[in-house]
This record gives sequence, C-alpha cells and structure tokens, in this order.
Amino acid sequence: MVTKKRSTVREKTANKRPKVMIGMGTCGLGAGAKGVLDSLEKELKSQKQVVDIVRTGCIGMCSYEVLVDVILPGRNRVTYSGVKPDMVPKIVEDHIRNGKVVSKFALSQMPLSGGVTKQYEELPFFDDLDQNRDQLRYVSRNCGIIDPDSVEEYIESGGYKALKKALGMKQIDVIGKVSMSGLRGRGGGGFDTGWKWESCAKYVNDVKYIICNADEGDPGAFMDRSLLEGDPHSVLEGMIIGGYAIGATKGYIYVRAEYPLAIERLELAIKQAKDNGFLGENILGSKYSLDIVLKEGAGAFVCGESTAMQFSIEGKRGMPRTRPPQSVEAGLWDKPTCLNNVETFANVPLIIDKGAAWYSQIGTEKSKGTKIFSLTGNVKRAGLVEVPMGTTIRRIVFDMGGGIPKKKKFKAVQIGGPSGGCLPEAFLDSPIDFESLKEAGAMMGSGSFVVVDETTCMVDMARFFLEFSTSESCGKCPPCRVGTVLMLEILNRITQGEGKEEDIEVLEKMSGEVRKMSLCGLGQAAPNPVRSTLRFFRDEYLAHIRDKECPTATCVALHKYTVIPDKCTKCTLCIRNCPVDAISGSRDEVAFIDKEKCIECNLCYDKCNFMAIK
Amino acid sequence: MKVNLEIDNKVVSVSKGTNIFMAAKDNGIYIPGLCYHPKLTHYGGCRLCMVEVTERGSTRHKFSCAQPVSEGMVVKTKTPECSKYTKAVMEYLLAQHPLDCPTCDKSGECGLQDVTHDLKLSKSRFRTVRLNEPMRRDNPLLEYNSNRCILCGRCVKVCKEVEGVGAIDFQNRGINTVVGTAFDKPLDCSFCGGCVSVCPTGSWQDRTLGFRARPWELKKTPTICTYCAVGCSLVMNSKNNKVMRVTSDDYDMGVNEGNLCVKGKFGHEFINSDKRVKTPLIRKGGKLRPVSWENALEYVSNGFSEIVNTHGGKAIGGIGSEKCTNEDNYLFQKFCRTILGTNNIDNISNMKSPSLNRLIIDAISYKLVARTLEEIEDADTIFFVGADVTEAHPVLGSMARKAIRQNKSKLIIANARNVEFNSTAKEDIRLNYKLGTQTILINALIKIIVDSKLVDLKKVDTSTKNFKELRALLKASDLGINKASSLTNIPEELIKNASEWLAKPGKCFIVCGKDLEEDPSCEEAIKALMNLCALINTGGADKVSLVFSRANNNSQGVNDMGVVPDFLPGYVDINDSVEKGSLEDFWGAKLPDCDSKNEGKDIFDLAVSKKIKALYVMGENPIVNYPDGKKVKDAFKKAEFVVVQDSFLTETAQLADVVLPSSSFVEKGGTFTNMGMTIQRLRKAIPQVGDSKPDWQIINDIAKRMGRSYSYTTSQQIVAEIENSVHMYKGISVNRLERKGFRWIASEYRKFRVATYDFENTVSKAKAIKKNAKYPFVLLTGSSLKHQGTFSRNSGSLASLTPDCYVEINRANAEKLKIEDGDMVKLESVRGKINLKVKISKRVPVGAVFVSEDYEWVPVNSLRDNGYINVKISKAR
Repeated sequence: MVTKKRSTVREKTANKRPKVMIGMGTCGLGAGAKGVLDSLEKELKSQKQVVDIVRTGCIGMCSYEVLVDVILPGRNRVTYSGVKPDMVPKIVEDHIRNGKVVSKFALSQMPLSGGVTKQYEELPFFDDLDQNRDQLRYVSRNCGIIDPDSVEEYIESGGYKALKKALGMKQIDVIGKVSMSGLRGRGGGGFDTGWKWESCAKYVNDVKYIICNADEGDPGAFMDRSLLEGDPHSVLEGMIIGGYAIGATKGYIYVRAEYPLAIERLELAIKQAKDNGFLGENILGSKYSLDIVLKEGAGAFVCGESTAMQFSIEGKRGMPRTRPPQSVEAGLWDKPTCLNNVETFANVPLIIDKGAAWYSQIGTEKSKGTKIFSLTGNVKRAGLVEVPMGTTIRRIVFDMGGGIPKKKKFKAVQIGGPSGGCLPEAFLDSPIDFESLKEAGAMMGSGSFVVVDETTCMVDMARFFLEFSTSESCGKCPPCRVGTVLMLEILNRITQGEGKEEDIEVLEKMSGEVRKMSLCGLGQAAPNPVRSTLRFFRDEYLAHIRDKECPTATCVALHKYTVIPDKCTKCTLCIRNCPVDAISGSRDEVAFIDKEKCIECNLCYDKCNFMAIK
Repeated sequence: MKVNLEIDNKVVSVSKGTNIFMAAKDNGIYIPGLCYHPKLTHYGGCRLCMVEVTERGSTRHKFSCAQPVSEGMVVKTKTPECSKYTKAVMEYLLAQHPLDCPTCDKSGECGLQDVTHDLKLSKSRFRTVRLNEPMRRDNPLLEYNSNRCILCGRCVKVCKEVEGVGAIDFQNRGINTVVGTAFDKPLDCSFCGGCVSVCPTGSWQDRTLGFRARPWELKKTPTICTYCAVGCSLVMNSKNNKVMRVTSDDYDMGVNEGNLCVKGKFGHEFINSDKRVKTPLIRKGGKLRPVSWENALEYVSNGFSEIVNTHGGKAIGGIGSEKCTNEDNYLFQKFCRTILGTNNIDNISNMKSPSLNRLIIDAISYKLVARTLEEIEDADTIFFVGADVTEAHPVLGSMARKAIRQNKSKLIIANARNVEFNSTAKEDIRLNYKLGTQTILINALIKIIVDSKLVDLKKVDTSTKNFKELRALLKASDLGINKASSLTNIPEELIKNASEWLAKPGKCFIVCGKDLEEDPSCEEAIKALMNLCALINTGGADKVSLVFSRANNNSQGVNDMGVVPDFLPGYVDINDSVEKGSLEDFWGAKLPDCDSKNEGKDIFDLAVSKKIKALYVMGENPIVNYPDGKKVKDAFKKAEFVVVQDSFLTETAQLADVVLPSSSFVEKGGTFTNMGMTIQRLRKAIPQVGDSKPDWQIINDIAKRMGRSYSYTTSQQIVAEIENSVHMYKGISVNRLERKGFRWIASEYRKFRVATYDFENTVSKAKAIKKNAKYPFVLLTGSSLKHQGTFSRNSGSLASLTPDCYVEINRANAEKLKIEDGDMVKLESVRGKINLKVKISKRVPVGAVFVSEDYEWVPVNSLRDNGYINVKISKAR
C-alpha cells in the first residue's frame, strides 16, 4: 500500500515576505473571491503591508470557499475558509501584521516542504481534516497549492521532469510504461490507455493528432475544470508525453467555451510551455516537435463523444459516426488520432516520474490509480475528492462529504451523471472501480457524484437526467432521438399521475432497446438513470402509478394539498400566503386546507419549511 | 480480392471492403435499412440493419452497413433478437412520422412503408411525438416536409458528396432535428434533384409530379436524356400517355449511376407541352396554317423536286440535328445525298468548330481518347481545360467528385473564365489564364515537364516522331516559366504544380471543353493539348484519357453519322473513292462529289450568296444557335424554300415554308452517342403526341413521295443498316445496347494498332484579341446549367426557376460603369444590341462580359460573328 504523502506547500525558504493565496477557481469566484481580493488589496494598502498575492486554483473544498491562505515567512500555511470581504481587515491586522492566527476564521494549517516551519498550536493540519484524511491527492496535488499562472512554480514542484525523462526513452517504452501502470481512461469508458496509445502508434502517417477531451458536460461534474484551472501544466505535460509516445504532430485541446477561466489559464500555460521549450519545435532539444492548439466547443454535450468531437474540430456538425474505422486509424481529418480525457493526461507525468510499479500499487486489481470525484448534492461538504480506486461509497459520502445535512437520511448516489445510474443504501459499502460500478448498473462516467437524500423523488430524478439526454441528443439515430423522448413522455405521465401499470414494463424494455440500438455512448447510456431507478426504487414508481402519490411529495401534479399534522409546526406561513383563504388554523391549531376553496396553486407547499403539506 | 462468408446459411463471395449490407443485397438477401446508399459514404444513422455476426469464435450484433465483410464470417439476418430490436426502432420512427400516407406522393414507393410492411409491425406502444413544421415550397421544383423526415442523412450526403453543393444540412438537436438550409433561406442550389432521388420517405418531393399520379400508376420506361452530351440514363414515368416525372433511382444504371442534373430531372414538361407542333403546317398567305400529312408531304416533295430539277441537288442545303437520334441523322444524310443529290449537309456543332472531327479522329488513332466517360472515376488527376463542367456537363462533375472521393484525385481547372466547380478535393489548382493564351499555357506545361524531366524523355523519344524537333523548338523559344506566367497571368507556382500533377504516375483524365473547341485558334490549342497528352502518356502508357466536350445529347452521333460535308458516315473521307464506291454499292445509289469550290464556306454562306436555294432543317434552331446571327437570318430570308422538322415552332420554324411535326425523344426508339463515344438506346415511353412522327419516318415518307421509297418500317432496321455501313458501329446489334450501351471507341481500340504519335509544332506567339475603344469588352458565351434550347424553354417549372438570362460582368468593371446587380443594361456590338439584366460575378475576367447562349429566347448570336466580338455595355433606359 502506498503511504500517504503529506500535503505541503513548496516555498522558497528565502522568501522573506508574507504571502497570501486566494482560491480563484470558478468555485472561489462564484463564492465571491473577487470581492475578497479587492478588499484585501485595499486593506493591505491602508495597513501598509507588502505581501505577495497568489491566485490559486481549487483545492477541492468547494463548500468552504472563499479560501484565503496566509503564509508568513518561516511559518506554516494557514487556511481561512468562508472568507467574506468584511473579515479581511481582521485577518490582515491580526495575522499578517501581528503574526496571530484569527482562530475563529481559520480552518487548518499546512507545513511547507522546503524547510522546517513553525507550527501554530491548536490549529488542525489540512490533511487531518475529515474531508482530507482519506484522500490521496496525487493528480490534484498542485491544485490550490501552486500558482497556476506560474510555470516556475510547476517546475519547482517537480513539473516537466517526467517529460524530460520520457523524451529520453524510446516511444515504445513510454507506451510500455503506461500499459504496465494499468492506467485506464478517465473519460468514462475506462479504456486501457496504454493499449490505445499502442494501437495509434502503429499507424504510420505524416500527420497524427493527439486530442485532449476537456468538454466536460455532465451536470455536476467539474473535476476537469478544476484541474485545468488549478494545474494546467500537468495536463499539458501528460499530453506532450502522449504525443511523443504515439508520434503526434499536432495536438488539440477541446475545451468547453463555458470554462472561460480554464481557457485563459490554458492559453497562458501553452505560451509558457512554448517559451520554455516544452512545446513547439524540438522539444527540450530532442527531435520531437509538437504544437498544441485550443479549440473551444460550442456547447454540445455530444461533442464529448470522440468522433463527434473530431467533426466539431473539423468545423462540422458534432455528430458521432459509426466505427470502424477507429479514431486511432482514421480520426481527425482522416488521420490517426488519439483522444484522452484531461484527468487521464494528468495521470501520465506521475506514472513516468514515479514508475509503473509504484502507480499500479494504488487502486484495485483492475482499476489502478486514483480517481477524482466531484461530490455534490445533499452532502455537507461538497467539493472535489481524490481517492484511490476501490474506496467505498460510504467513506466518500460520510467521511469526506460529512454525511447528509439537516439530519436527513441518505437515499442514493447518482454516479456518472446522465449516463450513469443511481446506487441505493445497500451499495454504500461497495467499492468504486470501473467493474463494480458497471455491475451495479452505474458507471464511472467522468466522475460526477451526486448524493441524494430522502426528500428526493427518484422518478423525478430519472426524469431530470433523461430530459437532459433528450435535449442533448444530436438527432442522428432514432433510438436516442425518438426513443428517449418517448421514454420521457412516459415518465412525465407517471409524475403527473397518469401512469399505467404496463408503463414500467415498457420502460424496462425500452431501456434495453435504446441501449442496444443507439449509435454512440450518449444514446446507449441515456436510459441508465431510468434503468437503475427502476431497479432499486420500483416502489416509488408503483406509488406514483397505483396510489397516484409521490412518496417524497416532489411531483407537483400529485399533491393532495392536505396537511400532515405531525409535521405542522403551526407557524401559519401557509395561511398567510394562501391567495384564496382556503387554509384555516392558528398558532394553536394545525393548519387545515379546505378542498372546496383550494385552487391548487402550490404556494402553500412551496412556502412550508417543514414539508408538512403533501 | 474476394472474401467468402456465409449469410443466412448461404455461402457468398464478395469483393474485399464490401459491407455486409451490400454483400447480402447483391446476393438477394434482404436486410432492412433506410440510410445506407451505395453511391454515398455510409452514415449508420437509421439503426435498422442490425445482424448477428459470428467471427473468430465470438457472436455479436453488428450494424451491417458499417461492418466490412471478413473471411469466414457467419451472418444471420433474421434472428428473433435482430427482428425484435429492429422492430423497436421502426416503432420509434413511426411514433414520430406523421403517417399521412394518403396525401403523400411517395406512398407506394416509400422505404418507410416497405420496412414497416416487411417487419409486420402492428399497434404501437406509444403516443406520438410528431413535429409540426410547415411544408417548404420555396422553389418551383422541390418541396420539403420535415415532419416526414427520418433523418437518414442521404439528402445531406448526396448534396455534399455527389453534387458538391452542401446546400442542406442538419439543424437543431434531439427530437427537433431537421434538415434545412442555412438560416432557413430559400433553397439555392443546382437543383439536381438528388435529394428526391435518394429520399426513402416523402420528405423531398418532385413538384413536377405534383399529385398527378400515384407511383403504382406510373409506367416506367428507361431511356437516355436529351439534354447534354453526358448521356445519362433516366426513367420516364408516364400515366395516360403523358410523362409525369423523371426518376433515376437505380444506382448502377448507365453512366450517371442515378445522378442527374436539373434539366434531366425536371426538364420534361416540354414533352406534353401545349406548345408542341401537332400537325403539319404550310405557309399560305404569309401565315403557317395546319394541313394534313398528305398535303404537306406533297408540298415538300414538289418543292424539293422543283429545286433539284431547276438548280440541281446541290442547291439544297441540309441541317442535321444534334438532338435527333443516330437513325434520324443517318437517314437524313442518306436522303440528302442519294435522293436530293446534295453534299451540302452539315450540323451546327461542326459549323461551330469545323476542325474538331479531324482532331478527334487523330487523337483516337493515337489512343489518347478515353474509352468511356466512366474512366474519369479511375483517375488520379483530373484536368478540365476550357471546360465549364458545372454548367455544360453537370453529371460529369458528379463523376469527377466520385473520383475525388474514392481515389483522392487531384483536380486542375484551366479556363479563361473563373468557372465554378464544387470541388470536394482537398487540393485543386485553378489556372485562370488570360483570354487567348491557352496554347501558351499548354506549351508552358509541356516545357516544364520536358525541362524538369518529369517523364521518361528517352521513352517518349523512341516511341514518337518529331519529339526532338519539338524539344529543339521549345528550347529555342523564350517560353520560360516566368514569361509564361506573365503572358497567361497565372502565378508561376501554380503552373509548376499543375505540370507536376499531370506528369505524376496514375491515370490522368482530361476534358477538353467548349472554350477551347469553339475558339478561333481551336486547332492550335488542341494540337498542343494532344502534344501534352502524348508527352505524359510517354508513348502509349495508357495513362491519359482525353475527352472532347460535345454540347448536345447526340452531337457526337450526328458527326459519326456523316451529317457533315467532308465525311461519309463513320468519318470516311468523301474523296476516298474506294470507300465511296463501296458505300454507293451498298446503298445502290450514286453519291455526289464534294464541292471543292465551297472551301471554307458553310451552308449559310452559300445560302447568302444564293448558291443554295432551299434549306432542309431537321430538329435544329440555327436562327438562335448558329454563332453568326445576322448571317443565318439573311440565309433563311434569301432561301426560296425552307422545310423545318421540329417539335416546336422555333424561331427557325417560324421562317419555314413547311413545318413538319416531329416526335420528341420519348416517343420513339433509337440511339444516342454521348461524348464518350458510348451508344445508348432510347425506348419509346409514350405514343406520338398529336400527329407528330419520328424524324426518320418523316424522311421515309418524303422519300416515298419522291418516288424513291425505302423499306424501313422500324428504327431497328436502320440500326441494322448502320451496323453494316458505319464501320465503327460494327457489333452494335450483337451488343444489343443493354445496360451500359455500346462503346464504339473501345471496340475500335481493340481492333487497330496505335499510330506513332507525331508531335506537331504549336509553339507560337499569343494571338492578341483585338481591342476596340468604342466597344471595350469581349463577349464570351457558354453553356448554362438550367437551360438548353427549345426543350428547357418549354418546360414550365424549369423555366420558371431561372426566368432571366443575365449578362455577367466583373465587379471592377461594373463599379466603373456604375452598374449594379439586377440593372437592365444594353449590350451592343457592331452587329446588334440586346437588353439584359446584369449579374455581377466573379466568374468573368476583367474586360469581358459573359452571356449564356442556352437561353433560346435571348438572341445573343445577333451580336456575334464567328470569332471574338467586342461589345459595349450601358444602362438601358
């Protein structure tokens, strides 16, 4: 078993000036990092403090944003969480000026790697936080730690060492090493990366392409974005190594236009890599040359499919095509093309640097390495978690995510977004790896991990994901274009209380048909949410159909507009909001809805804070 | 290479690279499928063709259109699994389809209906999810209904791959995906109708059919198109003896593989047009009045007899037809030569470029000419020189695109005009030479190939004559690449690249176009082109396939049949007394001598000088088609007796003393010879319209009336006679003209030995085109995609698509003249003037204007003489 390396900050010990780091990934910016930064700059000026300000990427603790870290010379890095602009003056005054940690805002500390730094007492270490204790941050090691805009910091933390090493190896050996490591594609399919490279390398052509798939489109997935924002060079390095291994002459990074920050940082990283000789003609003095170009996607989910992406890069409509030929034989512009996901590439420098044997120790027998998940939904601590393959769902949800908020019960977790499936409580202790997930009816997908609590209607959730798939279908083949719409129509009917018993059988059959007959992965996986909810939450479907009742009272059309006396707190909020005075009751009396008067406007349901109306 | 596999327990052997779908289809095994089409790249969108494949021990479901066959493969097409899933997909499609079959023109020949029926689908599990898009009718020929569309993508592909246009593509996502034009603008394409032809549902419809017949009521008669010289096979669909529409869905029929152009597909309405001449007409009191055949034939025979008796047979001039069949033309010249006793017969194509026949015969004897037009599909380099393929021979363009798609052929287009060609080639070279410098360009190409030794010069030298002399002349001339570049106005690099492409190994297909053939310096340029061909052919290496453009469906045939003054049928020199004698014996009649006094003068010259007193015109409209409009009008005015055989009252027929109604090509049998020298068979689809008769029958009747009756009762008998009297048509009846026609050039090649190529010197100075300060522009003319003469003019829907003929002018010139797009202008030469609308176009070089000569009602020839003419252009008041 690989022993866990403690997270440390690389810092020149010679640094005499205090340093402040602000998490300015998309999550940080969304939480108000810009305001914090403005306030910090203003405060530093007024308090006449000279410090280095570094804008880092996401460190993974998205629910704690805005994160501000302060490093005083010779001292540990202190992380402040949930920083608001009005907290800044105190931090500047107490910590930066006077060297005293503002303990009520501080979350954790982290030692520096360069030398011995002085600890702060009473403050827990970053790695000892519940969220981080069981994580293995290898791929995301630099995210939130280094300045993504600084190639120097990346190099200092060991970056581009692997590239240098790879360029000194034979191409076949690089591929061999990746094969031996057992690395599998992180885009969802889990295809053997080494094998893919090998099959692409064997096609001889004057032009070959390597493509990085950064078209992360699953609702609730943001691992790739965080990597690109927090550590773009590691992705570039992996891609250059891949390019060298297969003999690519040009690389494309296909990135969503909805990721402006990632694009900005990638553009800078490419320029820096070129300036430093990691990219361009004769990389690091070798005979190998590679150019990498950014291509912004226009916002189609299907363009994450490799052949559709290639058409999109060619300037055509993004529609998947049938295979053969495989992309490795004739892909982009009919040239041999190798396409890998962002996270896959970010794994590569690690493998080259530390060796295949080291890498293959992590994970399970068939799934090696770590996997980053974006943990969202009804969970206390949302964010990114990087765990070794084989970690159980329970540890991710309860240990790292801190469990379900508001004392609600865990219901299920949807892994793999609209292409994945949901896993109920019974699977809490099953390990997460490619095979186990597939067996359980979900899929790794790109790694979105949405936790669902007892108040969520599973029929409605299946409907939500299916609706996403129908609207993102490219329209090429009937099972996906029409089949999913027909399924959605049935689900809509069920949530409206118009379902029939035989609908369940039809849905089950259709799930199989659409999966079997669709052309690409998007269509094939589109019925998965329906399939898995039908498997694990059939009762809920039956309740909708037979009893015309939504057990979680989510489906509006099935609301009975009666008050559940046990839940009613007699707050009278519903009474005050009812537009037709249909609700009677008082502070002493449980509310009562007069069906004669009720116009079913749903306002009372929306307003009730205690789920007392169904 | 063949691959053996088993499909449904049947062992089949197909060529490598075939997909399972076609392997099954070719062996009579049906697999449902709506998106795959053999002439298009595979799409794999309909998901209906799933089969069970066992290969190397593992059994899987595969989609047969996307899966190539492999040795030992076992395929099962009808397993319960396959049909279960295929049915499910069909059920989805039908849940979206409007099922409005009773009001759909496609019903009865609809792929969706066929598959539904075949799979025995019954009640659906679903409610419907239909679209509610309006029917699009934004042009007179095609209509599109998105609601019926199953998005098989065939139309999108045919438009992109075959026609190279890409006017339509998919729009929107998911269930709302439809096929449409960019920004939903009205359809603006070449209107080839390929979309209708490949559509498996009723989404694309041919508006010329327009609910006049159900598909099962239509009688289908395969025949050959009557427009250009490509000779496309098409199928006449008729009901109640009227042509309702034209189809051509069979992908392995004829030279065109089911591809057509706008004229072939939609230009059929002339056949049953009200404007057809339905009875014979005789001029009485200055007006043409209907008479009976009896009277008309008597009038004609008396008229001819009178001229023959008073002035001799030579005083009658005969104009044969580029539109009529070989049989019509054969009989026409036989009649003129033996009964009227005149050798003054000709056809418009020969009058336009009198040296072309000899040049073609020379090129054939050196084995430079392509055996068939289809050879273009094997080409590695395609060279269009002076050819406007898109406008003149659109389907040849589709064939070129097939070569580009399959062989990744390179394309070179040389023309003085910047002609449009929708190339799908990754690389192509456009050589837009300065007007009149075509010979210089060709010689420059030769010089580069020789100087850089791009071919084996030793081999060229040993297998040809006079190569050394040519080399010496090239060396002596100052035609360096930079000089050539400055003279022709083409960048040096392009000339250099073009010569490299031409000389590189692989087949080279060259189309010599009208702009070269009808140029005053035609002979010189074509000889230079032949030198180039011989050079890259390196002495009979069979690398080059040269094709000479011909304008009309039977322009080649009319010359083959000897409707020219200097050749007897089969290009037998009229002065060759031995051959002439044997033909006289065969025909049992005396042939007139070639009139040596006519040197350089054609029939109309002779008519103007009153040496010819009577004109006999069969199926031609020289008043508009003959380049020199003034002269031809004069000729007809001076002629004492004019007989015109035509289906319409053309400008020429209006000047006639007698008009004899002739049947159109669908009302008779016979043969056409295309520009690839392939003879193809016509079939009679409908009975004669009105009292019209096939041209050969009219001639037969006149002959009978003149007391020299022939024994023909069917056109078949004439074919039999042609076989015996036209040497290159020998074997035609053995071939029976099935499927791919009879290729006379190929059978010639099998017979004779190649002549040693004799290089001729064409290295000369550029002939400057004379300039005129008063008339600053050169008038260029050419073909038009959407029109060609009388037939397209009388096809209502087609004519309404492009009702206006434009004069095209370069933007730079237009701006100087302050003329804008769509302005009405006066085009004026020393000979006449016409008013036309202006189109500002990139196709025309600075200093020139272009008018199509195919709009019959626009007498552009009234401005012209036989060479280049200068014109001026001004805003019309």
